[in-house]
Formats: sequence, C-alpha cells, structure tokens
Amino acid sequence: MAQNAKGTGLWSLLAVPIMLWTIVPLLFMVALSLKSADTLADPDQNILGNFWPKDPTWENYELIFTGGASDLFTPALRNSLIVCLLSTLISVVLAMFCAYAISRLEFKGKRLILTTALAVSFFPVVAMVTPLFDVWRQIGLFDTIPGLIIPYLALTLPLSIWTMSAFFQQIPWEMEQAAQVDGASSWQAFRKVIVPLAAPGVFTTAIITFFTAWNDFVFAISLTSDRARTVPAALAFFTGASQFEQPTGAIMAAAVVVTIPVVILVLFFQRRIVAGLTSGAVKG
Amino acid sequence: MTGRRGRRTATLAAVVTGAGLVLAACGGSADTSDDSSTLTWYINPDAGGADPNGGGQAQLARECSEASGGAYEIRVELLPNSATDQRQQLLRRLAANDKGVDLMSMDPVFVAEFAEAGFLDEVPSELTEEFTADAVSAAVESAGWKGQLYASPLWANTQLLWYRKSVAQEAGLDMSRPVTWDQLIDAAAKVDTDIGVQASLYEGYTVWINAMIEGAGGQIVQNPGADAADLTFGLESPEGKEAAAVIESFVDQNVGGPALGSTDETTTLDGFRLETSSFMVNWIYVYSSLKDADPAVFDDLGWARYPRTVEGEESKPPLGGIEMGVNQASENKDASWEAVQCLTSQESQKAYMLGSGNPAARKAVYDDPEVREQFPMADLIRESLDAGAPRPLTQYYGDVSSGIQREYSPPGSVDPDTTPQRTTRLLQDVLNGDALL
Amino acid sequence: MSDRAKAEQRLGWKLAMPAFIVMVAVTGYPILQAIWNSFFSYRLTDPDNREFTGLSNYIVSLTDPVFWTSMKMTVLVTVFTVAVELVFGFIIALVMHRIVIPRRTLRTLVLIPYSIITVVSAFTWFFAFSVDTGFVNRWLEWLPFIEQDYNWFGGFWSSFFVISLSEIWKTTPFMSLLLLAGLAQVDGSMEEAAKVDGASWWQVLVKVILPNMKAAVMVALLFRTLDAFRIFDNIFIMTGGANDTTSLSVLIYRQTIDRTEIGLGSALSVILFLCVLGIAALFVKGFKVDLAQGRN
Repeated sequence: MAQNAKGTGLWSLLAVPIMLWTIVPLLFMVALSLKSADTLADPDQNILGNFWPKDPTWENYELIFTGGASDLFTPALRNSLIVCLLSTLISVVLAMFCAYAISRLEFKGKRLILTTALAVSFFPVVAMVTPLFDVWRQIGLFDTIPGLIIPYLALTLPLSIWTMSAFFQQIPWEMEQAAQVDGASSWQAFRKVIVPLAAPGVFTTAIITFFTAWNDFVFAISLTSDRARTVPAALAFFTGASQFEQPTGAIMAAAVVVTIPVVILVLFFQRRIVAGLTSGAVKG
Repeated sequence: MTGRRGRRTATLAAVVTGAGLVLAACGGSADTSDDSSTLTWYINPDAGGADPNGGGQAQLARECSEASGGAYEIRVELLPNSATDQRQQLLRRLAANDKGVDLMSMDPVFVAEFAEAGFLDEVPSELTEEFTADAVSAAVESAGWKGQLYASPLWANTQLLWYRKSVAQEAGLDMSRPVTWDQLIDAAAKVDTDIGVQASLYEGYTVWINAMIEGAGGQIVQNPGADAADLTFGLESPEGKEAAAVIESFVDQNVGGPALGSTDETTTLDGFRLETSSFMVNWIYVYSSLKDADPAVFDDLGWARYPRTVEGEESKPPLGGIEMGVNQASENKDASWEAVQCLTSQESQKAYMLGSGNPAARKAVYDDPEVREQFPMADLIRESLDAGAPRPLTQYYGDVSSGIQREYSPPGSVDPDTTPQRTTRLLQDVLNGDALL
Repeated sequence: MSDRAKAEQRLGWKLAMPAFIVMVAVTGYPILQAIWNSFFSYRLTDPDNREFTGLSNYIVSLTDPVFWTSMKMTVLVTVFTVAVELVFGFIIALVMHRIVIPRRTLRTLVLIPYSIITVVSAFTWFFAFSVDTGFVNRWLEWLPFIEQDYNWFGGFWSSFFVISLSEIWKTTPFMSLLLLAGLAQVDGSMEEAAKVDGASWWQVLVKVILPNMKAAVMVALLFRTLDAFRIFDNIFIMTGGANDTTSLSVLIYRQTIDRTEIGLGSALSVILFLCVLGIAALFVKGFKVDLAQGRN
C-alpha cells in the first residue's frame, strides 16, 4: 500500500512536465493575441523573454471583430460554423442508421462497409481536391457552402460510422426486446429505451466529427475563395491592417477565438470524448 | 416486423430529404444576389487596406462610385498579401467562371497567363488610346498579350538605388553618374558595408535577376508568346552570364550580408535602417517609410538610377505595379470598363500616388506640383519607369520564375558557367511536362 | 436462408445504404477522375493542349529528384514523429492511467491540443520559433548553438524539427488516448502476480504490459502513420516547402493548385494513395492488425 502511494506521487510529479508542454504553446497563443503590432518583436515591451506582453491590449480582437480584418474573419467564422455543423449533422444522421444496422443486424456486406469506410478515411485529401475543383467550377459549386459540405462528408462519414458502431456494440440491446415483450409499441420502445441508450454515443460521435470538419484546411483553401471560406483558410490568407503590417496579432486573436469553442467542448465532455476516441479504434 | 421496418424506412427517408433540403437551402443563400450595378473589385492589399478613406484602392473605389452618379457601385475584396497567393485566388475564381468577380488588380506578370487562358475581357477598342497613350511603355507592354490589350495600368512600380550619401562619398563613388554593379560591390567592400538586394527564394529574386539580364541587353525569354515546346531562353547568353557573375561576386566579396539567401524587401529595408547596409535596391515605398521612421537615416539618404549590369549599357530598372483587368465572365463588363476608366484616370492615379505612395503609370502625373513636392525624385521615377523592362511575357511565367528561383538559390551556389545552363535545361523539361517543380 | 434472415438482410442494407452510397460517391468519383486525369498532359490554363500521354506522368514523377526529395521528407517526418509520439504517448498514457490527483485536469489538458485546428498549432509554433516574434531563442539562449537571431526556418534540419514539433504536440494526445485504452485492457492481476514473483518495474512493463496491449499499439501506430504520411498543414504554414521540406501532399498541391498541372499532379496523387494503401496493407497483413475485430 505504502509503495503504491509512493508510486502514485511519482506519477503525479511526471504530470507536471506533461501539463507544461501542453499549456505553454496555448499561453503563447493568448500572449501573442494580446500584443500590439509594434510590441510583437520588441523584447523590451515583453516579459519572460519576449513571451508575455507588458501592456496587454485588445486591439487585435477589435481588428478581427469590428476593424479592418472583420470582413475576412466574421464571415469565415460563420461559414465554419455552418459548414461544420451541417456536415456533422448529415454524417451523424446517416451514420446512425448505418451503425445501427452494423451492430444490430445480421447481413452480408457489413465487412465491406467497414472496410470501405476505412479505405476512404485513408485517402489523401489533397488528391481529391483537383477533380472536385474541376467539377465544382463547372457546376457552380465552387466557393459555396454545399461545395464544402459534400467533400467534408468524405472526412466525417467514415469516422462517424466507425465510432458509432463501436458505441452501439456496447449497448445492451436486450432491453429493447424486453420492452417490447412488456407490451410497448416499437415506437415507444425506440423512444423510451433505444434513444436514451444510444444518445451518448451519437453525441460523442458528433463532437469528434465536428472536430474533424473544424480542422480541415486542404478542402477549405482549394474549393473556396471568399464567400464560403472557413476559418483555417482565412487564417492562412490573413492580411495585416495594411500591406506593410504583419497580421501576426490578428491571426492569433482569431486562433484564440476559434479555439474557445473546442476548449469548452473538451472541458464539458472530456470523459465522453476519451471514450469515443478509444472505443472507435480499439474495441477488442 | 414489416410495420417496424416500414416506419424506420420512412424516418430514414424523412431525414435524408431533410438533409437534402438543408443543402438546397444553403445553395440558394450562398449565391449572393447580384445587383446589376454592383461591381466587385479584387484588390491587392496596399497602404489603405479595405479602408474607404485610407488613401488606397478602396478609397478610389468609393470616389469613383460616387462620381458615377449611381451608374455603378464598386465593392472591394482584399486579396492575400503575397503575389503568389493573389495569383492563385484570382486564377481559381476565373477558372471557375465566377460571375462574382468584375474587376481585378493584377500583378503585371499575371496578364499573359490569364489572357492566354481566355479569362480576361479585351479592352474595348475605343478605350485603348485612353489607357495607353500617356502610360509608361513597360506597363503597357505588360498589359497586352499577342497584340491585344487586356488591361489598363493603374500604377507602375520601379526600383531605385538608395544609398547613404556619407558612405558613398567615403567610398569615393560619384553618384551623379551611372554606377555599375561591379563598382558598387567594390565600393561596398572597400568601406566594409553591405548592399541590400532581394535574393530569397521568392518572386523578388526573379525581379533582380531579370533586371540584371535586361540591363546587359539580354532577355530571359527570347520569344514571348511561344508555346511551351518552342520557348527559348537567354539565361545562357553572355548577358545571362553577366548577371550570374554579379551574383557570384556578391558572394565572393561578401557584400550581401550574412543572410543573402533570405533577403526580401522588408529585410533589405531593415538592414538599411539599422545601418548594416549603405546601399540598396528597393521599390519606391521605402522613401515614405524612411521619412516617417528615421530622421537620422533620412537626412543622409540619396537616390540614383538602378545600377548598370555592364559599363556603357543603360540599366533597365525592374517593373512592378498593378494592371486592372475585367473578368470575361462578368455580367457587367460595360460598367466595369467604365469604372476602370475612372479608376485609372490621371486624377485617380495622382490621388493614389499621394495617398498610398505607389507611383503612377501615367507620365503626366509626375509634372504635378503636389506630386513633385511629396516625391523629390519624381523625375527619376518617371525616367526609370520609361526605361524599365517588364519580367518575361509568357503564359508560363509562374513556372519560369519558380524554376529560376530554385536553380539560383542559394545565391552562394550560383556559378556563371553552370547555373544558367542547368536552369535552362530545367525550364525546358518543366514546360514540356518532363520535370516537377 | 429463412425469411426472417432475408428480411434482416434487406433491412440491414436499407439502413446502411444511404451512408454507404454517399461515402462512395463523394470519394469514388474524385478517385476515379484523378486516375483518369493522370494519363493526360493537362493544364487548367491551357486546356486546348490536353493530350493523352499514357504513363508518361508516372515516369516523369518517379524519375524526378524533386519527387524523391519530398518522399525523403515525408518518410522522415512520418518515422520521426510517430516514433517520438509512441514513446511520449505511452508515457502520457501511463501517467494518465496511474495518477489519481490531477487526473481530470490532466486528461482535459491533454485533449486540448488534439481538438485544436492544425493550422492554429502550426502558426503558434511558427511564431514561437521565429526570430522576431518568438520566445524560443531567448529561452534556449544558454544552449551553445542557439543565439538570439538563430533562424530555425533557414535550413532543412531545423525547419524539419519545428514542423515535427508542431505535429507531435498536436497529435500525441490521440496516440496516448488509444494507448490508454490498451492499458485499461491489461489485466491488473497479471501485473500483481509478476510483482509478487519479484519482477522489476521494467520487466513488468516489457513482459506483461506491452505484450498484452500489442493490438492497441498497432492500431495507434497504423492510424498515426497514415496520418503523418499525408502531412500538409504544418508544412504549408511554416515553410511552404522551402529548404527541401516539401512533403508529398505539398508537392501535389503545388502541381495541381499552384501550377494547374492537373495531369502530373493527379499522377502524384495516385502514387501517394498507393503508398498509403501499401502502408495500411503492411500493417494489416504484416502485423496482423485486425481493424474490424469484434464487428462481425
């Protein structure tokens, strides 16, 4: 017992460098977003070796929300939200039926579906971009929201199918039958028993799927220009307040803004996300 | 069993239809309704950015819209900072036949590629005279392709040789007379100072190499307009070797600074400001930049025409700037050309030069007293522009430039006997589809 | 087959079909089109000169030193980042598995890099290592080879290092979570038994823990290897491919989007896809990773 406690203490000590390694870049992100353009490269105006600004300022946030960079950032934020939420919704709904069939029903071709999903998720995104661009430009989907949602399904569907089938496999489905034996109609059984059982898995899948879509860069820079541009692409094409001003502060302010929602999701649903990630890949 | 299945199928169908509807709804809303009199102008970022009162293109857009009396309303969209990214953004939109682009600000080197691909509307013949009569010749040359005019010069950039008067004197250089690169290098070596040039792996390096080859009387592309297979290059010519020799002596004499291979306009200006270099070739904007920031440096600042590559041959300063074109897919071409007429008028060019510090493409602007007061070197700018040479006019410009940058980088590896030859072979292979870039 | 089984078969396909069709349609089309395009000499800005050239694009790609330089970069990044992540991810997984006190905090913190946009991570590390905006040079000044104006993005190895660092920071959490799941499956009583038998900590790790989580390790390795092999975002943001840091994905992007050489780019895409399939096959056949385990 004593040995065990000592062991735990040692492990806790190891947690410190891990946490530092994780958090320092995050803090630097925030620090950069609080620096004005002329203090960015000036060590005298910063503390801790050019790390944290002596006079933090909100001007970068003003720039991206109301100032010169707002034309670039706010539509991108809106596009990101629309595109990611819609593609998450569509793929989770489609995957829900698919995963239910895979985990609950006996039918030929199950393996084919899972293997296809896996192969699709291995396909290099950059290789899909050119053919898609060529078609999109001809049928008018270039730089539109649907023009981005459709390829995002290629990213999100396989992931949703895998993660959700893993979840559904763990659900004790006998309860559904039990409910029906008890005289509940199929609909009641579905609503009262299946929905509560499946909801956590569906929800977790949705979060992970959302992260994947939120992260995409290649489709976003190749298939959009400015009307449907999402945040990662906007970050790469940020311009400063003028030609000769580096957009560093504005980029980092935007980076902080788009990181907040995912951090909130992580804070609230940490356990679920861990479960989702791990069961999706290695459920023995 | 059947009932359950039926219901499931129904739910499924409903959901899928719902998703489809959502998609369709999005498709509808993403198409911005195009008011016929609204023109969208894609601008490169300048000193004014997107600010309608910033003195840049955004302000021109506002003023011309107001002056049109409601005939059109120009909306600006900002392109990214680097010329490479600007080309890509425009190219993708144009290739997509995007009606949402009416006007665009193009780097002179984009015109050939865009025109060859059929992306640009030809300048209406009745406007040709107005757009070209007073404009500097290199800018006009860049605005055309295969005998047709596709753009109107909005402004034209050029480089000058900026120097510290005291150091030039100390080195015994007579700056009132044209200097050659060799003289400059010797002088800088003598007084142990650097010469700021742009030799990083980017477009600016091509600008420098091209200016030196042109200055020696040669040309990178000898038959502009030819197809990929027939294009001939002048890198291996004696003129091309002269240019390579200058780069070589920069390295040998160590006058390019410790990081010659990563110098661009900004680092060159910084070096000049911090007095590690006493000479630099750079665009006109550095003048206002130095004026605002460093009184000490500014008092000692001198300017002269771009250095000669060879003794006795006039230098051919680099040409930059912006050409204004109209998208062939635009639904408002007439209004667009009308807007270009206003945006590139002499008055607009003058306002733009004063507001943004970017030199006008029309020669008459340089006689304006206000311009002359703000730019004491106005005559030299006009002279340089008039004598300037555009970068190679070819629809494959992007590949030509990248290939040269790749083979001439880092500057320390340049050898006049092998580099031009190697580069020529690479360019031929790349254009024939026999090599990657 | 009984009626019931047939009905189930039909229902199964009905439910799975929409997802399956959408998935195949959105990827199948581009894949086939890319293969088709790869046999042509085709430039977007010069469509009139499109011509069938057979395998020429493949031959050009495979014989060009540029291709092999980017292949070298891609393999180096993959091997280096995955190896570091495996060790590092395992340590993190062990810590997460064993500790009691800041357990929740640690798990939450570790998840944040995973959920952050790769482009954001790339920018943060890029600015951190930049000479002007960065802090790294100032923090590491005591090291003999680092000076205040050391340019990390001036050479191959230093650029490679920073690119890998960003990749590692962002993706180690994923690796460690997969390994954590594997650790959870190791039977605690076997560990205890080994300890009672006088096995050292290291012996327990190598003889008991690792063999029992081999499946988890393999799956984690497979996913990360395939992912790392397609690296794009970090390189695009930090160096744009300068100093030989062009990866295969960046090379494809440059040919297709930048140069609009669709034929050559498509050939490279097909080559990249084949590489990825090869790696997957190697893992699945060579190391007997059963991905569809327990799904039948």
